[in-house]
Amino acid sequence: MELRIAVTGIGLVTPVGAGRDGVWKALLAGRSGIGPVESFDTSRFNVHLGAEVRNFHAEPWVRRLAAKALGRASQLAIAAARMALEDAGVDPEDVAPERAGVAMGTTSGEPLEVERFDDCFLAGEMEKIGTEFISLYPCHMIAAHVARELGFAGPNTMIPTACAAGNYAIAHAMDVLRSGRAELMLAGGADAFSRITYTGFSRLGAIAPERCQPFDRNRKGMIPGEGAAVLVLEPFPRAVARGARIYAELAGYGLSCDAHHMTAAHPEGDGAARAMLRALADVGASPNEVSYISAHGTGTPTNDRLEIAAVRRVFGEGARRTPMSSIKSMIGHTMGAASAIEAAVCSLAVAEDRIPPTMNLEEPEEEDLDFVPNMAREHRVVLAMNNAYAFGGNNASVIFRKAEA
Amino acid sequence: MRQRVVVTGAGALSPLADSPAGLHAALCAGRSGLKPIELFPTDTIGPRQAGEIRPFEPRDYLGDRNLRPIDRTSRLLLVAAQQALEASGWTAEMRASREVGLVLGTTFCSVRTIAEFDRRGLQLGPSYASPLDFANSVINAAAGQAAIWHGLRGVNSTISAGEASGLQALAYAVGLIRSGRAAALLAGGVEELCLESFLGYLRAGRLSGSNGHQVEEIPEEISVPFHARRNGFAQAEGAALLMLEDAEAAAGRGAAVLAEILGHGSAFDVEGTEAGAVTAVARAVRLALEDAALSPGDVDALSASANGGVAGDRAEARGVAEAIGRRAAELPVTAVKSMLGEALGASGGLQAVAALGTLRHGVLPGILGLEEVEPGLPLPGVSTRNRDVAARRILLTALSADGHACAVLLGKEEGSS
Repeated sequence: MELRIAVTGIGLVTPVGAGRDGVWKALLAGRSGIGPVESFDTSRFNVHLGAEVRNFHAEPWVRRLAAKALGRASQLAIAAARMALEDAGVDPEDVAPERAGVAMGTTSGEPLEVERFDDCFLAGEMEKIGTEFISLYPCHMIAAHVARELGFAGPNTMIPTACAAGNYAIAHAMDVLRSGRAELMLAGGADAFSRITYTGFSRLGAIAPERCQPFDRNRKGMIPGEGAAVLVLEPFPRAVARGARIYAELAGYGLSCDAHHMTAAHPEGDGAARAMLRALADVGASPNEVSYISAHGTGTPTNDRLEIAAVRRVFGEGARRTPMSSIKSMIGHTMGAASAIEAAVCSLAVAEDRIPPTMNLEEPEEEDLDFVPNMAREHRVVLAMNNAYAFGGNNASVIFRKAEA
Repeated sequence: MRQRVVVTGAGALSPLADSPAGLHAALCAGRSGLKPIELFPTDTIGPRQAGEIRPFEPRDYLGDRNLRPIDRTSRLLLVAAQQALEASGWTAEMRASREVGLVLGTTFCSVRTIAEFDRRGLQLGPSYASPLDFANSVINAAAGQAAIWHGLRGVNSTISAGEASGLQALAYAVGLIRSGRAAALLAGGVEELCLESFLGYLRAGRLSGSNGHQVEEIPEEISVPFHARRNGFAQAEGAALLMLEDAEAAAGRGAAVLAEILGHGSAFDVEGTEAGAVTAVARAVRLALEDAALSPGDVDALSASANGGVAGDRAEARGVAEAIGRRAAELPVTAVKSMLGEALGASGGLQAVAALGTLRHGVLPGILGLEEVEPGLPLPGVSTRNRDVAARRILLTALSADGHACAVLLGKEEGSS
């Protein structure tokens, strides 16, 4: 019997607020974190909406390091990590440092640092590029900063697998714990709102002009966002021994690669289906045991179509009975943080038997599927499957199970 | 009994050679891969040396397929992957029916692509930024491009840990194979040389001969690992991959086995000090030995990640010495970056590929230019000369400037000659 892994802490910094409770309430209430972009001028773009984290102050969370000497994604990640530890009732000082590790995912690392580089470059002010580019920019600094801030000297892994990165980090953390290389892991994802990301998605014609409508026939795209989420993961025996609240069991996962196209998913959802099937095999469950699917659900026509095709392939007739929602309708696509935030949502859905809605859903793409339109729902959630797909064809499905199940 | 992980092939592209065999031969011949930079304009940084791969004609290796959407980082990777697939006998037909995956270490993927995409958008307006460049701007772009090019449908992951990226990628891949999540994975790393990262390291004072913003008076560049007067690293580029397989699955398909990954260990220095780095390296080495159920006396040679960095080289040496105790007095040590330079994400894979050559030919390359060893270095087994070592087990270590320590034990497969 493999070691069971518990989710005992949740930290969230999102466009609808920060902290487990606040974010969960906002998502259940269908609140939107989407608004006009404030972090840079969008007048040269033909779209203007984003999902930014507003009024974020790093100082209360960044205590050991100097907040000003960190990139924004690192700041968001540290805040989420501290919240998760507080939520778990873990004082980092009480943890054996070499037995505690960090695994984080990201799409862009600290893109604002490249943007600063480019601003200097184009202004002919190369002399303004100083030591900070190398001390802040490389993406591994996110996991490194979290570990330095908290004094966690165990395995430290940064997995930049783009928009599925949070799931990759959580999956890796599970394996680290099972192999006995750590007894406590912080795992999640972080990304900062960026002109580069915004420019890219706008050039792909992927950004929605007014709102994000996953699975709606009239959907017009995704909304770029930012945020961070961190889970505290530990083996069940440890969590039980210290009397921790266990939100859910991190039960298993499946990874795959489309090997098809850099920015477009496989049209029949081949890789996505293989990831789901592998995750189900990993936890020893059949598709009809899945009570909730947290969709990747970006709101772009290609993503949503492939995802529906893949879910139908895996679930067959059962797809009609399995609720599937996308919180990206409310918080946009927070990139490397997205699947980590959704993992937190799955853990809470399992703990509380509630499912957040897909907002802005007026005409469902497929009438027979249950996208949990516009209203949160009470629903017994024993197994929650968290799906994430990324540029590069990286697919990851992670499954959370009710702790007592 | 857990799954054993074996090496069935390798690929390597470096400033010294365009094949694994060529790499070991060049290292043993004491050739340097450093040369004056031609890849990008050096007017703002002065004339400098780097480990540039030149000439590099991707078509010579990859044929007529469309390379236009693929940047330099990915092109380097495609070549190394092709070599490793061919060497291990994984044909395209086999890859269509059975999954081969890829675990790639990289620090930046292509920060040049990212920055050029951004600058074009700024100069001409967002609607002129290239969607092709955007696809390559994610840090997992090279791994994704290689998956598409070579039909790698298995686990595809990217690992970033600076100079420790490559060994961390090997360790991550070993974990996936041991737990039954993958049967065949290419693992290693890639990095391209470009102005953006070069200037960054220069300004951070990390490159040999860095002296802040002065272009005119560049001090003597000494990027020789463990040298008494070393003053930083020489930046380089490269791509190197091992084909790692579940031992039973490899035997089942009749694959020739080159080596085995016996164990690995990782640790992180939270203090950001030399003492903290020493502790992290020592712990990573001890964990690797423990994982392999070996003692220090079982290790026949060390390939260190030392690159000429003033603090890092010493911390790595002290950490290894602390972990292996008295064995440190006799252990033969090499540091291939004396010839290759610091290829960041590619470095760990290059160390591993070079070590395969040592296991095969029994020759450990000397450390080029190490005429003057740092006094008191706790690894006296460093030498400028090649050593004949009937090595059965080689310890690979890596320490990143940001605190990641990783150790991997590579061994001759039991029963192989």
